[in-house]
Amino acid sequence: MSDEPSNIALRYIQRRVLLLSLFPLGLLFAITATLARTYHAREAGLAREWFQRGNNDFSAGNAAAAVDDFRNALSYDPENNQIQLRLAEALLNSGRFTEANAYFQSLWDQNPGSGEVNLNLARISAQMGDVNRTVRHYREAINGSWESEPVRQRTSARLELCGFLLQNGRLNEARKELAVAAADAPQGEAILHEQIGRLFLKAGDPAKAVREFEAALQTNPRQSQWLEDAGKAAYEGGDYQKAEPYLSKANRENPSNDVGELLSTVRAVLRGDPYLSGLSDEEQAHRSWRGFEQGLERLRSCVAIRRARSSSDSSGEFENLTKSAKGLKDRVNLRALSSQPELRTETMSFVFRIEKVTSQSCRTPPGFDQALLLIGKKYEGGDQ
Amino acid sequence: MTEQSQSRGAMSVPAPAIGMEPAETKEERYRWLKSRPRSLTLSEGNLFLILAVIIGLFSGMAVVCFRISIEWIRLALFGSALAPSAVRVLLVPAGVGLLVAFLIQRFFRGARGSGVNQTKAAVYVFDGYVPFRTVIGKFVTCALAIGSGQSLGPEDPSLQIGAGIASVLGRRLKLSRDKLRLLAPVGAAAGLAAAFNAPVSAVLFVIEEVIGTWSAGALGAIVLAAVSSVVAMRWFLGSEPLFRVPAYNLAHPAELFAYALLGVVGGVVSLAFLKIIAYFRPRLRDLPEWTRYLQPAIAGLAIGLIGLRLPQTMGAGYLYVDQALHNQYAWQMLAILGFAKILTTSLSFVSGTPGGMFAPTLFIGAMIGGAVGGLEHHFFPQLAASLGPFELVGIGTFFAGFLRVPITSVFMVVETTGSYSIALPLMISNTIAYLISRRYQDVALFDLLARQDGLELPSMEEQREQVVLRVEDAMRKMESPPLQAGDTLARSLEIAGSSPEQFMLVRFPTGRWAGVAKTDLLKMAESYPTDALLRELLPTTRLPVLHPDQRLDDVLRLIQGHPLLPVVSRAGARMVQGVVSLPDILNAYQKAT
Repeated sequence: MSDEPSNIALRYIQRRVLLLSLFPLGLLFAITATLARTYHAREAGLAREWFQRGNNDFSAGNAAAAVDDFRNALSYDPENNQIQLRLAEALLNSGRFTEANAYFQSLWDQNPGSGEVNLNLARISAQMGDVNRTVRHYREAINGSWESEPVRQRTSARLELCGFLLQNGRLNEARKELAVAAADAPQGEAILHEQIGRLFLKAGDPAKAVREFEAALQTNPRQSQWLEDAGKAAYEGGDYQKAEPYLSKANRENPSNDVGELLSTVRAVLRGDPYLSGLSDEEQAHRSWRGFEQGLERLRSCVAIRRARSSSDSSGEFENLTKSAKGLKDRVNLRALSSQPELRTETMSFVFRIEKVTSQSCRTPPGFDQALLLIGKKYEGGDQ
Repeated sequence: MTEQSQSRGAMSVPAPAIGMEPAETKEERYRWLKSRPRSLTLSEGNLFLILAVIIGLFSGMAVVCFRISIEWIRLALFGSALAPSAVRVLLVPAGVGLLVAFLIQRFFRGARGSGVNQTKAAVYVFDGYVPFRTVIGKFVTCALAIGSGQSLGPEDPSLQIGAGIASVLGRRLKLSRDKLRLLAPVGAAAGLAAAFNAPVSAVLFVIEEVIGTWSAGALGAIVLAAVSSVVAMRWFLGSEPLFRVPAYNLAHPAELFAYALLGVVGGVVSLAFLKIIAYFRPRLRDLPEWTRYLQPAIAGLAIGLIGLRLPQTMGAGYLYVDQALHNQYAWQMLAILGFAKILTTSLSFVSGTPGGMFAPTLFIGAMIGGAVGGLEHHFFPQLAASLGPFELVGIGTFFAGFLRVPITSVFMVVETTGSYSIALPLMISNTIAYLISRRYQDVALFDLLARQDGLELPSMEEQREQVVLRVEDAMRKMESPPLQAGDTLARSLEIAGSSPEQFMLVRFPTGRWAGVAKTDLLKMAESYPTDALLRELLPTTRLPVLHPDQRLDDVLRLIQGHPLLPVVSRAGARMVQGVVSLPDILNAYQKAT
């Protein structure tokens, strides 16, 4: 640009206009700042308001309405993880698994170590039938981070995982997880011990279940439910000597519970078991003799029932038992049983066989027959 | 138009007027001006760059106000719930449609139409002039229309608001006409960058669609304006991208076939959308003038009816694109939303309701992309389960197919997602969609709208696809070998005598070229001995040399005053490949047309 007066004047004007434009720029800045601040405040207010509404609806059990509320809240605060989490939970509760899964997955993308998100993803995966993904998310939840009560949350997630594994027949994995849960469970957490005990029972490990119920009972030895649970677990495990005091205490603490029949059975077992430690030869012989007589009676009645029914199922087995009974009858008496431990064993094995075979064809009546059946099961494998 | 002619008149009268001391004579005034501090004086180039930043800041803040206004209006009209009551959904778009139509017909006629084309018109027709009334009109009517649920977006109006602000500032600064013309695209880039929160895409779009060339003078200012506007916008609204984008990784190269199919579907659907607009818009414009008061309202009513079942199709719809990107919808729903949005957007746009097509294009692209991805996943479960990447690619695909801006479409998705790994499927899909759309619809959307409005604006797409003529298209072989500077006059006369050329090229050992006419050689022979060396007789002027790949447009400037120019290899100026004369060039142009 040359130094022509008109050009110099133009440049001067331009410079002045440029400087003057800073005033409207400042004014626009002030207007925009006010507008933006007001708008952000309004957005934040609306997000809070809808979030609160959503929480209220969710607490009231209205998950569908909560979903709408949380969606509204999220539209004003899309980055808010808390709202996203609650929305996902509401979706999950209203059975909209696909959408819930998407939200949780999005949260997981942002924070893959979140225990809560992983737990929810595990629940959704379980609903969707994806076993491996479920187990993976449960494990991530157990090892993940929790904002509050991490120990309790992790244990709870582990127990949920155990329940899932049991449902899917993965007993060994479930037992391992339960063992860890039992080891980690704090001493005074009675409810937790009770939960673990129940899961041990489902996992087919009644001995460990008894230990958990016993741990629970340490906080309150007169809690009838735990007494009953401990008694039943001991009964399941064939430890009738342990079951009896728990069941009788449970019965005492709460006579209205339904352990009476079980307690009678346990007592019958304890009365009829010839192999209990500390019994004299005479007592063993006496119990074996009683068992033998009961067994013969049971065989006779079952054969009669079968004849009445004209049933031919396992008739060979019954014939064998009848033949053996005839043979044993000649040899078995109280004196012989007292002096010959081998005869006691042979006799009781025969009785157990009778109870087992007859239980398959004729209903086992409660009382001594059932006790004999249980005693037989207990000593199956010849560990008497 | 009065304001426009005033403005153009004012440019030629640069008399000092603002804040100047009174000066009696021209001489005194000149002395006074010369006495002002030199350091404060700006060259026009520097002033232009500073102005670009100021335009960016103005535009960024204006766009923030615009976007907030849309939200305030939405809140006021529909309440804060995402699913408003049925009465509101039915009545608000129709009622506000009446108001918007009234405002446009009575006060802001310039607010009707495409902001992109109006900015182009400012550049190519009105010397960079965008009336401030149009800026105000665009702001008010678009905020009302979009806030009331019309299926349009805020980007196109933002672009025009930016261009308008730039134009106003340029006029106040009394910039030269060519600078003023450049300012509109600068402002447009600023407005679009703030609206998209994507400066690179905005710069590319303006270059690709508005100015059409990579002019160094404009590029610096456009970039500065775009960046400063995005800075201003982020200052107030935060730096969050338009969408929260899911992570994407190409699991298997075979997935690219899935994206290619998306390109085909995207191309076909975008073509159909284009055809709908092309067919209905002129027909509605041809209806009697009074119907223009009703068209936006009727469109609003129809949109309300659709919105009763599908409220997602109302307004710009960014929230729902975000939801779709996070797998909130099944593919069947995505397909329904995509096609419903085509319907609502067509209704809004052809009815003359002011607003942009960018946001609806993103929406439709995302939904169609997700639907195609979901459908493919249904039949090929080994494909990635997440629909997010398909939706992202769908956005770019629809952008390429509908708006026909293939480069911007790729960069926009990459820029808004920050994911470079999406670029590969994106390019494949975009190219297919673009080619389909190009094949079956000769005229691109913006050119089509301009023609419907009676404007013959330059088509950037046609410019891009024009055959560029190069020297190699016009050059011919030399009829005879060139003279050597070391030849004697006698030898030179001998060679010239056997050559059909009237103008002989002379090669110097240094690679320099000169030329001499046959008649001049004969004159030299009369004045100088025949054993005199040619180099001693020739003037020192150097002949420009050409290369085969040079554009003929550029050569036209160089060839002035030279009957013949040598075409040499770029590997060495001594390696002559042919010659070119002005008739050769004209011949080449004639052949090309």
